[in-house]
Amino acid sequence: MAEDMSIESYLAQGGVLTNPTNVPPRYRAELMKLMATFVDSELAGAAGFADVINAGPGIKERIAAAKIVLEKTDNADRVLKIMGEFGANTDKYANHHPWTARLDRGADIGASRTEQDMRLAVFNYPLDGWSDAVVMNLLMGRAVAVQMAEFSMVSYQPLAEAFRAVAPVEARHAELAEEGIAKLAEDGEKATLQASVDYWWPRVAASFGAADSSKAESLKTMGLRKSTNAELKTRWEAETKAVLDGLGLTSG
Amino acid sequence: MARFHDLEVTDIHKTIRDAVVVTLKPVTGAAEAFDFTQGQYLTFRQDFDGDELRRSYSICAGKEDGILQVGIKRVDGGAFSTWANENLNVGDTLQAMSPMGGFFTALDAGNEKNYLGFAGGSGITPVLSILKTTLAAEPNSTFTLVYANKGVNSIMFREELEDLKNINMGRFNVIHVLETDAQEIDLFTGLVTEEKCAQLFATGWIDIKSIDTAFICGPEPMMLGIAAALRTGGLDDGQIKFELFASSQPGRAKKRAVSTDAASAANQATAAITLDGSTQTVEMSKDVSILDAALGNKMDAPFACKAGVCSTCRCRVLEGEVDMVANHALEDYEVEKGYVLSCQSYPVTDNVVVDYDQ
Repeated sequence: MAEDMSIESYLAQGGVLTNPTNVPPRYRAELMKLMATFVDSELAGAAGFADVINAGPGIKERIAAAKIVLEKTDNADRVLKIMGEFGANTDKYANHHPWTARLDRGADIGASRTEQDMRLAVFNYPLDGWSDAVVMNLLMGRAVAVQMAEFSMVSYQPLAEAFRAVAPVEARHAELAEEGIAKLAEDGEKATLQASVDYWWPRVAASFGAADSSKAESLKTMGLRKSTNAELKTRWEAETKAVLDGLGLTSG
Repeated sequence: MARFHDLEVTDIHKTIRDAVVVTLKPVTGAAEAFDFTQGQYLTFRQDFDGDELRRSYSICAGKEDGILQVGIKRVDGGAFSTWANENLNVGDTLQAMSPMGGFFTALDAGNEKNYLGFAGGSGITPVLSILKTTLAAEPNSTFTLVYANKGVNSIMFREELEDLKNINMGRFNVIHVLETDAQEIDLFTGLVTEEKCAQLFATGWIDIKSIDTAFICGPEPMMLGIAAALRTGGLDDGQIKFELFASSQPGRAKKRAVSTDAASAANQATAAITLDGSTQTVEMSKDVSILDAALGNKMDAPFACKAGVCSTCRCRVLEGEVDMVANHALEDYEVEKGYVLSCQSYPVTDNVVVDYDQ
């Protein structure tokens, strides 16, 4: 009976893993890294956005911002729970780093991360007031949508399911941002908005990672990636450009 | 955080020659930790000659059974499963973590759904839990089970499944597919492959168009074949639930394979660990990470992910040498200075001195 199949070839043929016990070490490391990046980015994103709730020009805006903070924290929790099943101490993890910490707005860190956590580089930059936060949320929200579509197909089933649940919530955040920008544009803040687009566009673009990442192939055979960094970035650029065009703004 | 609780063995009986069904009772105070969802599994730990082994086994009881029960099939050369089949007795104590796993869908008494389950050999355990619970909780839903085995003698829970069929006439159907024993219907002989599934769908044994959710638990090639057939049949990934207990569980990724013979005596190291200003010297096995050695000696060493990702557990090696098996957090310059991720670092030399405070 052809029951002797290595986990590696099972994965290469599109197989799905379902619990920590049969995850090979290399796969486990890549999976933990993927999860830590998501959790840290959501926690850092939520923490940064929490600070601008009060900057919302009206009560509707403040409700929307508070909802985004709540739901991003909730999304982090979903994935952190899965890390917990691998032995991570979830209570400690959630508090092991000051998630509100940011660098200078002019810091030049490219796509590198800080040594303390795994958040995407983009979350190390501070928000500059309400309209800047809304623009960042739109651009990053669109990026998350592209990434969630990709990661909803990862070969670790519990994580794929978590991302499928997270995807519509994150998509709604980008919609809220779009509505927010439309309103700000009506109020004649177009120049400020465009300045924020110009600031965030390259930084969000960098969050897709290096185009020549050598790891893409091995991640593909493990079923942890389907598309390359460059493909995801191109998808994001095209989709986001269309949204910005609709708002009368220019992409970077 | 994963914690182990004590469970008392209250019953143990054979379901086939080389598989036992073990009924467990949480000791006082731990009952809440073992409230499970159908289809989940328990992870046990047991010491074998000083080496701790962890193995996961699916719960086979239904929710309404009101008991905690796992099925353990003996695997050739498997220390834990052999021990459970040959040496485990009523009254013994086992240690397990709270039930884990997401091999289930939410149930609702109002549902009128059609479920399809595929089980290969001992893969029946979580599927049995799911189908028993579903039939009890959703009186208007149906369940079809395709159950693959070598022969009649290796069918776990055969009588229990017959009983369920009789109690749930018209709602529960079992198709036994046997590899070696011939059956009246040719289609039911052989392996459950993609082709076999396609034939079951085409001949009307299974109305694939009516299926809401499918559950698959079996060996890797079987899972791939069935999943492919289900996708061709029109199910999307959200409708297909998998549970895989690999035929060769890699066990714990604790350490690169070192033969236990060579390990026994020469495999010890002495580690001086400094944390919060005080130094403790511990004797440890070279198969244990620095972090686990510190934690095992009641030191409150910092850690979070235990996977070499978050760098919370960073420490500096001052003397001796350790082997860091994974590093996704430290930069090269830090490694050069002697920093390591203690959760991924195992002693190489007989003496090591590490410092968490630097």
